[in-house]
Amino acid sequence: MGEFKGTPATGDLTVALSNDELHILINLVEQLLELLGERNFAHHYQSDDPFAQLMAAQLMNMEPLSAPEDPVLNRLLPNAYADPDAADEFRKFTEPRLRQIKQQHLMYLREQLVFPVDHELPKADILISDAQQWLLALNDLRLALAVRLEVEPDTFEEYELMPDSEPKKSLLAVYFWLGGIQEKLLDHL
Amino acid sequence: MSTETEELSELDLSKFFDRPWVCIVWDDPVNLQSYVTYVFIKLFGFSKEKAHELMMKVHTEGKAVVAAGSREAMENDVQRLHEHGLWATLQRDDHGGV
Repeated sequence: MGEFKGTPATGDLTVALSNDELHILINLVEQLLELLGERNFAHHYQSDDPFAQLMAAQLMNMEPLSAPEDPVLNRLLPNAYADPDAADEFRKFTEPRLRQIKQQHLMYLREQLVFPVDHELPKADILISDAQQWLLALNDLRLALAVRLEVEPDTFEEYELMPDSEPKKSLLAVYFWLGGIQEKLLDHL
Repeated sequence: MSTETEELSELDLSKFFDRPWVCIVWDDPVNLQSYVTYVFIKLFGFSKEKAHELMMKVHTEGKAVVAAGSREAMENDVQRLHEHGLWATLQRDDHGGV
Protein backbone atom coordinates (compact mmCIF):
# COMPACT_ATOMS: atom_id res chain seq x y z
CA MET A 1 0.00 0.00 0.00
CA GLY A 2 0.96 3.65 -0.26
CA GLU A 3 1.32 3.36 -4.05
CA PHE A 4 0.67 6.38 -6.25
CA LYS A 5 -0.75 6.42 -9.79
CA GLY A 6 -1.25 9.25 -12.27
CA THR A 7 0.00 12.85 -12.14
CA PRO A 8 -1.28 16.22 -10.86
CA ALA A 9 -1.03 17.61 -14.44
CA THR A 10 -3.57 15.10 -15.74
CA GLY A 11 -5.71 15.43 -12.61
CA ASP A 12 -5.69 11.68 -11.93
CA LEU A 13 -3.12 11.38 -9.12
CA THR A 14 -4.31 8.74 -6.65
CA VAL A 15 -2.85 6.96 -3.64
CA ALA A 16 -3.89 3.51 -2.41
CA LEU A 17 -4.06 3.25 1.38
CA SER A 18 -5.33 0.47 3.63
CA ASN A 19 -7.73 1.12 6.47
CA ASP A 20 -4.91 0.66 9.02
CA GLU A 21 -2.70 3.11 7.14
CA LEU A 22 -5.52 5.65 7.00
CA HIS A 23 -6.03 5.37 10.76
CA ILE A 24 -2.33 5.81 11.48
CA LEU A 25 -2.16 8.91 9.26
CA ILE A 26 -5.35 10.47 10.67
CA ASN A 27 -4.07 9.88 14.20
CA LEU A 28 -0.76 11.63 13.43
CA VAL A 29 -2.49 14.52 11.65
CA GLU A 30 -4.86 15.09 14.57
CA GLN A 31 -2.06 15.02 17.15
CA LEU A 32 -0.04 17.56 15.20
CA LEU A 33 -3.10 19.77 14.66
CA GLU A 34 -3.70 19.75 18.40
CA LEU A 35 -0.08 20.71 19.08
CA LEU A 36 -0.13 23.50 16.47
CA GLY A 37 -3.34 24.88 17.96
CA GLU A 38 -1.50 26.10 21.05
CA ARG A 39 -0.84 29.84 21.18
CA ASN A 40 -2.67 30.36 17.92
CA PHE A 41 -4.20 33.79 17.53
CA ALA A 42 -4.24 33.81 13.74
CA HIS A 43 -8.04 33.70 13.49
CA HIS A 44 -8.28 37.16 15.05
CA TYR A 45 -6.88 38.71 11.89
CA GLN A 46 -9.67 37.35 9.73
CA SER A 47 -12.62 38.05 11.93
CA ASP A 48 -15.29 40.71 11.28
CA ASP A 49 -16.03 40.73 14.99
CA PRO A 50 -14.95 44.14 16.42
CA PHE A 51 -13.81 42.57 19.69
CA ALA A 52 -11.64 40.06 17.83
CA GLN A 53 -10.16 42.92 15.82
CA LEU A 54 -9.42 44.77 19.03
CA MET A 55 -7.66 41.67 20.36
CA ALA A 56 -5.67 41.41 17.13
CA ALA A 57 -4.64 45.05 17.51
CA GLN A 58 -3.45 44.24 21.02
CA LEU A 59 -1.52 41.30 19.63
CA MET A 60 0.30 43.55 17.19
CA ASN A 61 1.42 45.76 20.07
CA MET A 62 2.51 42.95 22.30
CA GLU A 63 6.01 41.99 23.27
CA PRO A 64 8.16 39.95 20.85
CA LEU A 65 7.22 36.27 20.74
CA SER A 66 9.87 33.86 21.99
CA ALA A 67 10.50 30.45 20.41
CA PRO A 68 8.04 27.68 21.40
CA GLU A 69 9.22 25.43 24.23
CA ASP A 70 7.99 22.23 22.65
CA PRO A 71 10.82 20.90 20.46
CA VAL A 72 8.36 19.80 17.73
CA LEU A 73 6.90 23.30 17.48
CA ASN A 74 10.39 24.74 17.61
CA ARG A 75 11.34 22.62 14.59
CA LEU A 76 8.16 23.42 12.61
CA LEU A 77 8.25 27.12 13.54
CA PRO A 78 12.00 27.75 13.75
CA ASN A 79 13.84 30.98 14.48
CA ALA A 80 14.58 33.03 11.36
CA TYR A 81 17.60 34.75 12.95
CA ALA A 82 20.50 33.43 15.03
CA ASP A 83 20.16 36.54 17.20
CA PRO A 84 17.35 35.76 19.71
CA ASP A 85 16.02 39.34 19.86
CA ALA A 86 15.75 39.63 16.07
CA ALA A 87 14.21 36.14 15.93
CA ASP A 88 11.55 37.02 18.55
CA GLU A 89 10.67 40.29 16.83
CA PHE A 90 10.30 38.54 13.46
CA ARG A 91 8.29 35.72 15.03
CA LYS A 92 5.73 38.16 16.41
CA PHE A 93 4.70 39.08 12.87
CA THR A 94 5.18 35.76 11.07
CA GLU A 95 4.49 32.85 13.43
CA PRO A 96 0.67 33.12 13.46
CA ARG A 97 0.55 32.92 9.66
CA LEU A 98 3.07 30.06 9.48
CA ARG A 99 1.01 28.09 12.01
CA GLN A 100 -2.14 28.79 10.06
CA ILE A 101 -0.60 27.57 6.78
CA LYS A 102 0.60 24.34 8.38
CA GLN A 103 -2.79 23.81 10.01
CA GLN A 104 -4.52 24.32 6.66
CA HIS A 105 -2.35 21.68 4.98
CA LEU A 106 -3.03 19.20 7.78
CA MET A 107 -6.78 19.89 7.80
CA TYR A 108 -6.87 19.38 4.05
CA LEU A 109 -5.00 16.07 4.39
CA ARG A 110 -7.36 15.02 7.17
CA GLU A 111 -10.36 15.77 4.96
CA GLN A 112 -8.90 13.58 2.19
CA LEU A 113 -8.19 10.71 4.61
CA VAL A 114 -11.43 10.60 6.61
CA PHE A 115 -13.75 10.15 3.64
CA PRO A 116 -12.98 6.43 3.09
CA VAL A 117 -12.93 5.83 6.87
CA ASP A 118 -16.33 7.49 7.36
CA HIS A 119 -17.68 5.32 4.54
CA GLU A 120 -16.16 2.19 6.13
CA LEU A 121 -14.18 1.25 3.04
CA PRO A 122 -11.60 -1.50 3.75
CA LYS A 123 -9.08 0.29 1.53
CA ALA A 124 -9.10 3.42 -0.56
CA ASP A 125 -7.80 4.92 -3.77
CA ILE A 126 -7.80 8.56 -2.78
CA LEU A 127 -7.93 11.08 -5.61
CA ILE A 128 -5.38 13.72 -4.60
CA SER A 129 -6.80 17.13 -5.48
CA ASP A 130 -3.82 19.14 -4.22
CA ALA A 131 -0.49 17.29 -4.34
CA GLN A 132 1.47 20.23 -2.90
CA GLN A 133 -0.60 20.27 0.28
CA TRP A 134 -0.13 16.50 0.60
CA LEU A 135 3.62 16.89 0.16
CA LEU A 136 3.97 19.67 2.73
CA ALA A 137 1.67 18.03 5.27
CA LEU A 138 3.52 14.69 4.97
CA ASN A 139 6.81 16.51 5.45
CA ASP A 140 5.58 18.25 8.62
CA LEU A 141 4.36 14.91 9.99
CA ARG A 142 7.81 13.39 9.36
CA LEU A 143 9.55 16.37 11.01
CA ALA A 144 7.29 16.11 14.05
CA LEU A 145 7.79 12.35 14.42
CA ALA A 146 11.55 12.72 13.92
CA VAL A 147 11.82 15.21 16.78
CA ARG A 148 9.85 12.96 19.15
CA LEU A 149 11.85 9.87 18.09
CA GLU A 150 15.16 11.80 18.20
CA VAL A 151 16.05 10.76 14.66
CA GLU A 152 19.75 11.13 13.79
CA PRO A 153 21.63 10.39 10.55
CA ASP A 154 22.34 6.77 11.70
CA THR A 155 18.83 6.02 13.00
CA PHE A 156 17.99 3.68 10.11
CA GLU A 157 20.93 1.39 10.96
CA GLU A 158 19.87 1.39 14.64
CA TYR A 159 16.29 0.59 13.61
CA GLU A 160 17.35 -2.40 11.53
CA LEU A 161 19.25 -3.87 14.50
CA MET A 162 16.42 -3.23 17.00
CA PRO A 163 14.57 -6.27 18.37
CA ASP A 164 10.83 -6.31 17.57
CA SER A 165 10.11 -6.14 21.31
CA GLU A 166 11.55 -2.62 21.44
CA PRO A 167 8.52 -0.26 21.68
CA LYS A 168 10.24 2.48 19.66
CA LYS A 169 10.62 0.14 16.68
CA SER A 170 6.99 0.30 15.53
CA LEU A 171 7.02 4.11 15.74
CA LEU A 172 10.22 4.28 13.71
CA ALA A 173 8.58 1.91 11.21
CA VAL A 174 5.80 4.50 10.75
CA TYR A 175 8.40 7.24 10.33
CA PHE A 176 10.30 5.35 7.61
CA TRP A 177 7.03 4.31 5.94
CA LEU A 178 6.04 8.00 5.73
CA GLY A 179 9.41 8.76 4.13
CA GLY A 180 8.72 6.08 1.53
CA ILE A 181 5.29 7.58 0.78
CA GLN A 182 6.78 11.06 0.41
CA GLU A 183 9.50 9.74 -1.91
CA LYS A 184 6.90 7.98 -4.08
CA LEU A 185 4.73 11.11 -4.18
CA LEU A 186 7.74 13.16 -5.33
CA ASP A 187 8.29 10.68 -8.18
CA HIS A 188 4.80 11.55 -9.45
CA LEU A 189 5.20 15.36 -9.36
CA MET B 1 43.95 58.12 -7.50
CA SER B 2 43.29 56.66 -10.91
CA THR B 3 39.86 56.54 -12.51
CA GLU B 4 40.00 52.77 -12.50
CA THR B 5 40.29 52.57 -8.71
CA GLU B 6 37.38 54.98 -8.25
CA GLU B 7 35.13 52.89 -10.43
CA LEU B 8 36.12 49.76 -8.56
CA SER B 9 35.34 51.24 -5.13
CA GLU B 10 31.98 52.47 -6.41
CA LEU B 11 31.18 49.00 -7.70
CA ASP B 12 32.05 47.37 -4.39
CA LEU B 13 29.90 49.89 -2.53
CA SER B 14 26.85 49.26 -4.71
CA LYS B 15 27.31 45.51 -4.26
CA PHE B 16 27.33 46.02 -0.51
CA PHE B 17 24.10 47.97 -0.55
CA ASP B 18 22.34 45.82 -3.12
CA ARG B 19 23.06 42.42 -1.60
CA PRO B 20 23.68 42.85 2.11
CA TRP B 21 21.62 39.86 3.32
CA VAL B 22 21.73 36.12 2.64
CA CYS B 23 19.33 33.23 3.22
CA ILE B 24 20.96 30.05 4.56
CA VAL B 25 19.55 26.52 4.59
CA TRP B 26 20.92 24.20 7.31
CA ASP B 27 21.30 20.44 7.16
CA ASP B 28 18.94 18.22 9.13
CA PRO B 29 18.70 14.41 9.29
CA VAL B 30 15.01 14.30 8.31
CA ASN B 31 14.27 16.12 5.06
CA LEU B 32 14.73 13.79 2.09
CA GLN B 33 17.40 14.78 -0.42
CA SER B 34 14.88 14.50 -3.25
CA TYR B 35 12.46 16.73 -1.31
CA VAL B 36 15.06 19.45 -0.61
CA THR B 37 16.04 19.48 -4.31
CA TYR B 38 12.36 19.69 -5.29
CA VAL B 39 11.76 22.64 -2.92
CA PHE B 40 14.79 24.54 -4.26
CA ILE B 41 13.48 24.18 -7.82
CA LYS B 42 9.95 25.14 -6.78
CA LEU B 43 10.85 28.22 -4.70
CA PHE B 44 13.87 29.60 -6.52
CA GLY B 45 13.41 28.33 -10.08
CA PHE B 46 16.86 26.68 -10.09
CA SER B 47 17.74 24.11 -12.75
CA LYS B 48 17.69 20.51 -11.53
CA GLU B 49 21.51 20.45 -11.61
CA LYS B 50 21.87 23.67 -9.62
CA ALA B 51 19.24 22.56 -7.07
CA HIS B 52 20.95 19.18 -6.64
CA GLU B 53 24.34 20.85 -6.22
CA LEU B 54 23.00 23.19 -3.50
CA MET B 55 21.24 20.32 -1.74
CA MET B 56 24.52 18.35 -1.68
CA LYS B 57 26.30 21.41 -0.32
CA VAL B 58 23.79 21.64 2.53
CA HIS B 59 24.20 17.90 3.18
CA THR B 60 28.01 17.71 3.09
CA GLU B 61 28.97 21.13 4.49
CA GLY B 62 26.07 21.49 6.93
CA LYS B 63 24.67 24.64 5.30
CA ALA B 64 24.48 26.60 2.06
CA VAL B 65 23.56 30.11 1.00
CA VAL B 66 20.55 29.73 -1.30
CA ALA B 67 19.66 33.38 -1.93
CA ALA B 68 21.02 36.91 -1.47
CA GLY B 69 19.32 40.29 -1.60
CA SER B 70 17.51 42.84 0.51
CA ARG B 71 16.54 42.02 4.08
CA GLU B 72 12.87 42.06 3.11
CA ALA B 73 13.43 39.62 0.24
CA MET B 74 15.46 37.26 2.46
CA GLU B 75 12.80 37.37 5.20
CA ASN B 76 10.28 36.37 2.56
CA ASP B 77 12.49 33.49 1.34
CA VAL B 78 13.02 32.24 4.90
CA GLN B 79 9.26 32.25 5.49
CA ARG B 80 8.63 30.25 2.31
CA LEU B 81 11.34 27.75 3.29
CA HIS B 82 9.80 27.39 6.77
CA GLU B 83 6.41 26.73 5.16
CA HIS B 84 8.14 23.85 3.35
CA GLY B 85 9.75 22.55 6.54
CA LEU B 86 13.33 23.44 5.65
CA TRP B 87 15.53 24.83 8.40
CA ALA B 88 16.46 28.32 7.15
CA THR B 89 17.79 31.55 8.63
CA LEU B 90 18.83 34.94 7.30
CA GLN B 91 21.82 37.07 8.22
CA ARG B 92 23.99 39.90 6.98
CA ASP B 93 26.28 38.74 4.23
CA ASP B 94 29.83 38.90 5.57
CA HIS B 95 31.44 36.96 2.72
CA GLY B 96 30.50 39.09 -0.26
CA GLY B 97 27.60 37.43 -2.06
CA VAL B 98 26.66 33.86 -2.90
